[in-house]
Amino acid sequence: MAHAVDTHEHHYHPPGLQHQFEDMKQQEESVSIGMWVFLVQEIMFFGGLFTVYLVFRSRFPMAFAAGSNHLDAFWGGLNTLVLIVSSLTMALTVYYAQKGNRNMQVILIILTMFFGTVFLGVKAIEYTDKYNHGTVPVDGWNKRIPEGGTQHSSPAEHSTLTLPFETKASAADAEPHESEAVHPNPQGRFRIEDKDLELVKQAQEGNYLTGSEKIGYFSNGQGSLPNGQIDEAKFRDKVRIFFWIYFVMTGLHALHMIIGLGVMLWLLWRAWLGSYTAEYFSPVETAGLYWHFVDIVWIFLFPLLYLLGRHFLHGGGH
Amino acid sequence: MAEQHNTHSKAQEEHEEHIGIPGYLVIFGILVVGTILTYFVATIDLDWIFPGANTLVALLIAFTKMTFVVLYFMHVRWQSRLIWLTALSGFFWLAIMFAFIMQDYLTRTSGTFTN
Amino acid sequence: MQNVDAIDSGYAEKPVNYLTNGYTVKSWLLTKDHKRIAIMYLIVVSIFFMMGGLYAATIRLELLTPQSDLLQSGTYNKVFTQHGILMIFFFLIPSIPAILGNFLIPIMIGAKDLAFPKVNLLSWYLYMIGGALTLWALMQGGVDTGWTFYTPYSTTFSNSYVMAVGLGIFINGFSSILTGLNFIVTIHTMRAPGMTWFRMPLFVWAHYATSLIMILGTPVIAITILLLAIERLAQIGIFDPAIGGDPILFQHLFWFYSHPAVYIMILPGMGVISELISNFSRKKIFGYEFIAFSSIAIAVFGFLVWGHHMFVSGQSTYAGLVFSFLTMVVAVPSAIKMFNWTATLYKGSILFDTPMLYALGFMGLFLIGGLTGLFLGSMGLVVHLTDTYFVVAHFHYVMVGGQVIAYLGGIHYWWSKMTGKMYSEFWGKISAMLVFVGFNLTFFPQFILGYQGMPRRYASYPEEFQVLNIFSTAGASVLGVGLVMPVVYLAHSLIWGKDAPANPWLLPGLEWRTASPPPTENFEETPIVTWEAYDFTEESGLDLEDARNKYKVTV
Repeated sequence: MAHAVDTHEHHYHPPGLQHQFEDMKQQEESVSIGMWVFLVQEIMFFGGLFTVYLVFRSRFPMAFAAGSNHLDAFWGGLNTLVLIVSSLTMALTVYYAQKGNRNMQVILIILTMFFGTVFLGVKAIEYTDKYNHGTVPVDGWNKRIPEGGTQHSSPAEHSTLTLPFETKASAADAEPHESEAVHPNPQGRFRIEDKDLELVKQAQEGNYLTGSEKIGYFSNGQGSLPNGQIDEAKFRDKVRIFFWIYFVMTGLHALHMIIGLGVMLWLLWRAWLGSYTAEYFSPVETAGLYWHFVDIVWIFLFPLLYLLGRHFLHGGGH
Repeated sequence: MAEQHNTHSKAQEEHEEHIGIPGYLVIFGILVVGTILTYFVATIDLDWIFPGANTLVALLIAFTKMTFVVLYFMHVRWQSRLIWLTALSGFFWLAIMFAFIMQDYLTRTSGTFTN
Repeated sequence: MQNVDAIDSGYAEKPVNYLTNGYTVKSWLLTKDHKRIAIMYLIVVSIFFMMGGLYAATIRLELLTPQSDLLQSGTYNKVFTQHGILMIFFFLIPSIPAILGNFLIPIMIGAKDLAFPKVNLLSWYLYMIGGALTLWALMQGGVDTGWTFYTPYSTTFSNSYVMAVGLGIFINGFSSILTGLNFIVTIHTMRAPGMTWFRMPLFVWAHYATSLIMILGTPVIAITILLLAIERLAQIGIFDPAIGGDPILFQHLFWFYSHPAVYIMILPGMGVISELISNFSRKKIFGYEFIAFSSIAIAVFGFLVWGHHMFVSGQSTYAGLVFSFLTMVVAVPSAIKMFNWTATLYKGSILFDTPMLYALGFMGLFLIGGLTGLFLGSMGLVVHLTDTYFVVAHFHYVMVGGQVIAYLGGIHYWWSKMTGKMYSEFWGKISAMLVFVGFNLTFFPQFILGYQGMPRRYASYPEEFQVLNIFSTAGASVLGVGLVMPVVYLAHSLIWGKDAPANPWLLPGLEWRTASPPPTENFEETPIVTWEAYDFTEESGLDLEDARNKYKVTV
């Protein structure tokens, strides 16, 4: 026969125990497994993008290397460090929540949010940089630079305006971190540079182009010829694919970062109220799991997007 | 109910003994070193070993960093086998997706990867 | 949990149950009760099913004649696309898990609710938002790409509402993911004392396996649709071969989810069938562990076979070989279930009530559907059969002959538990038989048509195929009647049906040990389970004397 446990007996309700659970242990276990299951689906979500990256990179490695060299590995590396610091502060937040130390929790959550915001700020700088240099993959979505060499630029970009008699080289000197000349781009198109084509020529000479590249960078069977003519428009399309992947992957990552900041804001408010103690801190732990996951995605994005083609540059640097 | 409290705080205590602030700082240090390492190794051409060596090294470093974050920052080192299984299955499924899609591209007779 | 409303409304004699616990719209729309959420799903899922059915009727009407006279080709493309989208994403995938799973899983394991009731409600709202967006897009002009959205047509050339429908499906996908998440956690942590993994009903095992697929597969379709939508906006050409993009990559990503999705559709159905076969044979299920593990095996192996949708797409022959072999392997766990169900029937005391009629129908129809799947899994044969009506017939046999029939069986079986009312057995049996006859008449001719070469997704066809098409449409009318009848008599039962006892068939399951309909917290007291699943002996607490008298059975 069935025996039963009376669910109506009065017992001590720990703070935060939800009605569907029998006790805190069941609740904590459930929340922990729940967040991990959620992270598994996030792994598969980003995984689809990594798959697209994998397939296209395998087919067009030179285009990817060329695209990657346009990205500033310094900012990317800095962002990686920023996220790692934020992961540390997040882990310490959980540590202090366990100890019931409200003040340290609040400080560390604020620090975590600070570093998260710095990350987003750097991303904004990077995206603006892409816009200015014509590497946003959609034609018309780049900065329109009228013909004639002069350009209307914001003060943040250049220390001086380029004047008509300045050569392209000296104009380039005014820019702190890019050595490319400022070509006109009246329709805001996506564009690449000669140094990108250099990589293809190198690969052509060294005979390590893939089969897809021989078709994809050349027209009319030129690819199988030792000195075949590179079709710049076709090559540009493949570099464009790299930038599309770059923007979608980092954009989706940044979106997750923004959501993470929202979660942190809520956590900050609850921590301020002193809700998290040695007895009840699993929301902090759970939020931490999400934050660390976002960090891990970036740990992979950084080398795969930023550091691809650096070894082709004979000594690196920009 | 009282027993449950005791079990809970016992688990907490075990938790705290495993890694304290110095421990977290060590892991942080490892992650920073890994980042700097990957940045500089990327500038050295390793393709004379085999094509794609650079990528392999970068991925190995990334995997190591991820492992430290997962085990120590995400506390998986001290979690139940179910959590281990959950975390591993996510990566295993990702591996299935990569492997089964690439086995198509790698076995095409012309065009994709063959020279 | 005293409820003043119940007493004031004159229901004082009846105990408060989850239906009477609050009558305001707010108490439904902001409910955290898994049972109320299940009923809300029942209503909207049924509406989507009927809309999908109207599209199906339109298709069958058009195909009465060889010419494309009722609809132009472009419109026909929209009709079959929308039939597919509504049926797959808004009916087949959510139906059993969101309705029966939501309602029954906590009760079957002796819990008060799912692990995350608010997330459960969020799932329902996401389903509603995704559905609303999709319906809006359909009303604006719809989508004509086929439910498979193959590129580059869907990204570059189609002038229809691809982005809107895609986003609707994307949002709906998260509903599915959250439901799966909830089920997995609930089954791990919320089982009542004594309810071990191997004492759980196989219905719960089936939903656990389904939830694994939902978590691992759905995010991939989500990202694929997102990429599709971005591609439509930005026109980079990532899936367009003209600039070096890869349409086959889209297909890989699409089918990586969409094949496991068919297991999301069928596994819960198989869970229902395990319940029906065992309980209506009044016999412990044969090979419990085999059925439980085969559900997990289907979930895992189901992820390894998606390339069988792409044999002729341009994927490599060797990949095709791998996928073909694994397709044969994945049939084995399903076959194991069929054998175990058959063995359960052997020497059972079979009750031919409506749910059992559906279960028996399932066994025959799923068998045919599953076997024809093997035809399609073999590379040589598939070159001849791809994109013909053979494929259409195969998947309708497993989806309608399998899932829909299991769904109907489940709805009838647990109707008294969910609503507290008994439906008319007479009309139940009639409509079950109409569904069976109508279904076969509709879809069997399509196997022949496909084998003879009639292509799918065409509004017009060569004259020699007309006779079989007429049979098919005639069958569809019978099927339609059979599917509409339950709506009528089930609705009738809500108002004029007899009040249901807690355990109308005197069965050992935990869900039959609480009132019909159950109270909000499911059980008056948390049960402590000491008996095995499907235990038809006195060990489980069944009153066998009562059962023998009532049903004139030998158990």
